[in-house]
Amino acid sequence: MSEKRIREHPVLDFQRKDGFFFDFEGKQVLAYPGETIASALYAQGLQRFTESKLLKRPRGFFCAIGKCSSCIMRVNGVPHVRTCITPAREGMKVERHGAMPEFPDTTLPCPKVKEENIEVAVIGGGPAGLSAAIVAAENGADVHLFDENTNLGGQLVKQTHQFFGRYEEHAGTRGTDIGKDLAKRAEEAGVNIHTNSTVLGYYHKNKIAVDAGNRLEIYGCEGIVYATGAVENFLAFENNDLPGIYGAGGVQTLMNEYGVIPGDRVLMVGAGNVGLIVSYQLLQAGVDVVEVVEAMPTIGGYQVHASKLRRAGVPISTGHTVKKALGNEQVEGAVLHELDENWEPVTGTERTVECDIICIAVGLKPDNHFLRLAGCKMKYVRELGGMVPLRTETLETSVEGLFVAGDSAGIEEATVAILEGELTGAAVTEKIKGGSEKLLAVKKRARAGIEEMRKGPYGQRPLEGVRACTFEGVCPE
Amino acid sequence: MKGYESTGIIHGKDIPWPSEKRLSQGPVVIIECVENIPCNPCVKVCPKEAISKTEITDLPDIDHEKCSGCALCVTECPGLAIFVVDCSYSETKCRITIPYEYLPRPNKGDTVHALDRKGDMVCEGEVVRVRESGKTLGVTLEVPREYARDVRGMRVIE
Amino acid sequence: MTTVVCRCEDITEDDILEAIRDGYREIEVIKRHLRLGMGPCQGKTCIPIIERIVARETGCKTQELDIPTARPPSRQVSFSLLAGDDRD
Ligand SMILES: Cc1cc2nc3c(=O)[nH]c(=O)nc-3n(C[C@H](O)[C@H](O)[C@H](O)COP(=O)(O)OP(=O)(O)OC[C@H]3O[C@@H](n4cnc5c(N)ncnc54)[C@H](O)[C@@H]3O)c2cc1C
Ligand code: FES
Repeated sequence: MSEKRIREHPVLDFQRKDGFFFDFEGKQVLAYPGETIASALYAQGLQRFTESKLLKRPRGFFCAIGKCSSCIMRVNGVPHVRTCITPAREGMKVERHGAMPEFPDTTLPCPKVKEENIEVAVIGGGPAGLSAAIVAAENGADVHLFDENTNLGGQLVKQTHQFFGRYEEHAGTRGTDIGKDLAKRAEEAGVNIHTNSTVLGYYHKNKIAVDAGNRLEIYGCEGIVYATGAVENFLAFENNDLPGIYGAGGVQTLMNEYGVIPGDRVLMVGAGNVGLIVSYQLLQAGVDVVEVVEAMPTIGGYQVHASKLRRAGVPISTGHTVKKALGNEQVEGAVLHELDENWEPVTGTERTVECDIICIAVGLKPDNHFLRLAGCKMKYVRELGGMVPLRTETLETSVEGLFVAGDSAGIEEATVAILEGELTGAAVTEKIKGGSEKLLAVKKRARAGIEEMRKGPYGQRPLEGVRACTFEGVCPE
Repeated sequence: MKGYESTGIIHGKDIPWPSEKRLSQGPVVIIECVENIPCNPCVKVCPKEAISKTEITDLPDIDHEKCSGCALCVTECPGLAIFVVDCSYSETKCRITIPYEYLPRPNKGDTVHALDRKGDMVCEGEVVRVRESGKTLGVTLEVPREYARDVRGMRVIE
Repeated sequence: MTTVVCRCEDITEDDILEAIRDGYREIEVIKRHLRLGMGPCQGKTCIPIIERIVARETGCKTQELDIPTARPPSRQVSFSLLAGDDRD
């Protein structure tokens, strides 16, 4: 097993001090503060995290952000722990249990349930949620922000590249730095920050249930801003569940948050911005990207991102997709083929590439489970990536007091996420505490900024999408 | 459909190129940005106001006469799409400043592989200057003058 | 051939094609029939894929398809969190 921790990186600095050990099936595994159980195990070369329920197929971790449950293990006697978001601790006992673990035989401690009434709950600590929380707190609201991760910043913490956008909204700055800056400002503004706190559900009326690790917390809220970002799309192809097939977000998290490379030779599926950027980040981490394949006839992401890859010698094959993954226990290669204009495979174009990782970057869709629970009126809007809630101009959904911002409202970019966060932060505060000159100014500025971002050819899609789901006055049936 | 839409490779004809006269006067900026991305750091960072946009989604409008070739924008552009070319000081050589964010880092005096937009090696180049700004390096290479329009990347020889 | 649609419940593309052939056409019904999307991840990975498969097989547009009802919790929850009721 080869060590996969990144020692040197052109942009990131991984400080690893005070390493410690935990027990994995009788072996001592090294971990560093800040690492999760999954990242420490992967760094040692572990690929098979669990096995599937019926077919007993090997499974690796997949999403690395707590969404897919492919990484569950027994930790200190407790089964079904998502190891990808559980911090490693000295001396803990970790073992694999397959898909159907036995019920724990220990008597579990009886937890406390806490109930509290608060003014504003912000769900999700990415750019949208942080910005909403900052504005609301700075304008006198009592704000609680919940994020299921240990680190705030959402997708931003993994972006080692400089951002496009408005210079005023941090363009030219690396995503990682923007995330840190927003987190610091939220703290300074007096936001009550709850990390490692997963919001489990919505209950009438504007009550939320939070898994705070050791206890269940119920909050009655006067206003909610929902900003949990997006979920990655996946693809159906033969052998698509082999260890070594990961979502782009998972690869990014592993590599840029925990400093662990996924493998040595990566096939990237998808040439949208995420596929192109993650490919570039892989090259920066010293990993070989053998090819980028894209089913569409043109590259979906920005030409400048594609050009960076081409200059580094990475081929981009449009009109191609992956037919199947090769390998038994883990990925050993992939079979690619060309697609015609009707997306049908062209016979005789099959070819094999050698790789140990297949990274899937075929789009994101808004995370909407909570909104559906809350009974928000939803609409399928292709331009925004999937099912999104109907909303007012200030992003209030059909459920009064429940606002939505960022990728959960529609897939766009960080600048828009920040501006939407500011807009909803101001609107929710206005609703609870009454209006003020200052809030009006924030709203005006944010709306002007959003409008500006949606000009130009790349803005057409989201602009049309937003038009299709924005209502005035009473929400349409 | 433009070629780069399916290949990711820009061609000289896709981008504004300074006049021969301006090229002979000193270093000057080349911006390989063709897509109306909502983005403006290049505009904000230029001390000579040589790059402008009315709307944030406009293509950068370059006034080659105002540009001093200072290369501040090379390390500022999030798309790493800005280069500076200097064809003014020699009949046979030219200098190209390119943004670089990989390891190992090049050092002044190194001989490196100079690459074209497809990542193919064009020639060898000598590193004459390395400027760092926020972890992005602006690396100035000296290469034969005939490659001024081709060299856009580099690889350190290990 | 194993093309996995629902990773949690091990449901393959073939299983879904068979269900559609058997007359199950709505996602909500296929979900109940096959347990698709009812594992620990609560359909975060598989629902978009099945949307595409059902759209392709039934000739419906993705917009026109039903989406399964959302039920709490959004994430898996340990028994210990639910069983206790020691209020402050
Ligand atoms: C590879 C890549 C490159 C990108 N490059 C750029 C770029 O160059 N420029 C640009 O402008 N944008 C870029 N983006 C887009 C940008 O990162 C996103 O649009 C932005 O992060 C969205 O912000 P958000 O706050 O809506 O969501 P996120 O950043 O996704 O944050 C959501 C947060 O919610 C938390 N959460 C989710 N569910 C729960 C729950 N149930 N309970 C508690 N917390 C929860 C998550 O842990 C997360 O921290 C890029 C995105 C990717 C993936
Ligand atoms: S939940 Fe851990 S890998 Fe997806």
